[in-house]
Amino acid sequence: MSAAARVPDEAGTGAPLLSVRDLALHIPVPPHVLRAVDGVSFDLRRGETLGLVGESGSGKTLTALMLMRLLEPPLDALPRGQVVLDGIDLMTLDEARMSALRGRTVSMVFQEPLTALDPVFRAGQQLASVLRRHLRCGRTEARAASLDMLRRVGIADPERVLDSYPHELSGGMRQRVIIATAMACRPRVLIADEPTTALDVTTQAQVLAQLTALTRESGTAILLITHDLGLVAQYSDRALVMRRGRIVEDTLVGELFRKPGHPYTAELLATAVGLARPPAGRDAAGPTP
Amino acid sequence: MSAAPDRQLGGVSDDTAALLSVRRLVVRYSDDVATRPGPGRRGARGVTAVRSVNLDVEPGRIHALVGESGSGKTSLARAILRLLPVESGQLLFRGQDLLRMNAGQLRRARRHIQAVFQDPQASLSPRRSVLQTLREPLDHFRLGPAAGRAERAMAALEAVGLDTELRYRYPHELSGGQRQRVALARALVSEPELIVADEPVSSLDASAQARIIDLIRELRETRGLAFLFVSHDLSVVQRLADSVSVMYLGELVETAPAAELFARPAHPYTRALLASVPVPDPGHPPPVALIGEPSSALTPPTGCVFHMRCPERIEPCATRAPGETCPRGAGTHHRVKCHLWNN
Repeated sequence: MSAAARVPDEAGTGAPLLSVRDLALHIPVPPHVLRAVDGVSFDLRRGETLGLVGESGSGKTLTALMLMRLLEPPLDALPRGQVVLDGIDLMTLDEARMSALRGRTVSMVFQEPLTALDPVFRAGQQLASVLRRHLRCGRTEARAASLDMLRRVGIADPERVLDSYPHELSGGMRQRVIIATAMACRPRVLIADEPTTALDVTTQAQVLAQLTALTRESGTAILLITHDLGLVAQYSDRALVMRRGRIVEDTLVGELFRKPGHPYTAELLATAVGLARPPAGRDAAGPTP
Repeated sequence: MSAAPDRQLGGVSDDTAALLSVRRLVVRYSDDVATRPGPGRRGARGVTAVRSVNLDVEPGRIHALVGESGSGKTSLARAILRLLPVESGQLLFRGQDLLRMNAGQLRRARRHIQAVFQDPQASLSPRRSVLQTLREPLDHFRLGPAAGRAERAMAALEAVGLDTELRYRYPHELSGGQRQRVALARALVSEPELIVADEPVSSLDASAQARIIDLIRELRETRGLAFLFVSHDLSVVQRLADSVSVMYLGELVETAPAAELFARPAHPYTRALLASVPVPDPGHPPPVALIGEPSSALTPPTGCVFHMRCPERIEPCATRAPGETCPRGAGTHHRVKCHLWNN
């Protein structure tokens, strides 16, 4: 999904889809205050993929959890700031209305698919429950829709996967089920927190190809949280660099790699672990007949 | 250059200069867990995790073993460390077969072959201070006078770039990167010739990763240490390794000097693996996805282990296992198991 292939503003309106202003999470740790997230502001535009990079502990995941209103007590009382999705301020929404949005308008994919799936339910039950809840469809309809979703994330035998428990599936299969669940209601926003970090590189390429196809089809915007600058370069339109709870850079991906604006970004790029040289093409190495 | 490909011996070289020579090593799991009936497992009897592998590690060189989860790379590493029972084959360390040693000989050999694992949180005892952890190998192997051991332990700590002030700390008081340095210091303290490192940087942040990689390179330079470096991360391997073996479903499908493997990968699986890495450069073409999933090691395919997913499959691939050859135009140190090169 190159920058050119994306249409950042499908609806033609100038307003961003998701607008975050001065988002903060200051945790009192007497006698100090830990500024875990410290005044984060950014916009997510319709249909775009926005990379959020930073090292562990920089506040990426906490930011995501605040956007989803998924912080657990006692932290849930601490967030400050504004999160406006399509004109609705999520920070002041009551839990019932927020819960109606989660999984339908805004979805999340987590890093570790084994903990994101409930071990005592079959994969199909978890996928179908999202469809039944948000789209108010019946059992048979939900099953048919679930099978369809699994096919679209590249699962060749959706019947078997639907009837399997999470532990019976490979890591790649589990993450496909999670993505199918997150995308089942064609959300406006998908927050993907290190979605492929637990996967092998060939599985990662497969899963991201399927995720890209799905989100493009539904016009879903992605906030892609990752520590991997390779993923940012290859799958994002714009990027945010986060450090110690703050956004230190907000720029187009091309700019980020060409002339990083913040010293920390330059440092991050310098330590980026990527293949130093493009792998040789097939012709370069193939046997000559 | 004109040497005929040797189908028995593999690895980087056939000469006897290797520090470690693995020959036709087979590791099989045949316990109840692997064979318990389950979906698609009926009738399966055990699983062969490592299939007749040949591999050489030369003194003072870093040999990387890459592969995806389930490819058997950890089983191979653990078998070399004699932490797993071996079905058949040879593990020659300086010409002596580790598999035919008695307990005393093996104990003496172990001083020279040390290990570093992926998760230092799990591999360091939470109840021992850094100093206690680093002294233990010296006490165990009875190296040097007892009075000088604390000093040797501290020298190892300095060698991995940690302040000796940390010696009374416990693992939970250290960062992940510091813990992995302690694990490396513990491996160094008995002055081994070979370190088997299984995903030693996978649990670390990019910056901590970069520092451990630099440290490993430095240890090779200054001490002539050899490493068998097991990793799923091709970019780490590219920055570190002198030579690389690529493992798929229990077999080494390709072995080559690192620069050559990355510049001219010969096996279709190696090419697919390299093509699926996202390159941190927006101008680079996007990753290419391989089709299908790896076959189960419980029901391995006939013929070539990779033929079911191979985009370049030809007629004999499904039925006949390819022998090992040198790709055309490559040196004898480049070995590949693929029918495309067998003719």
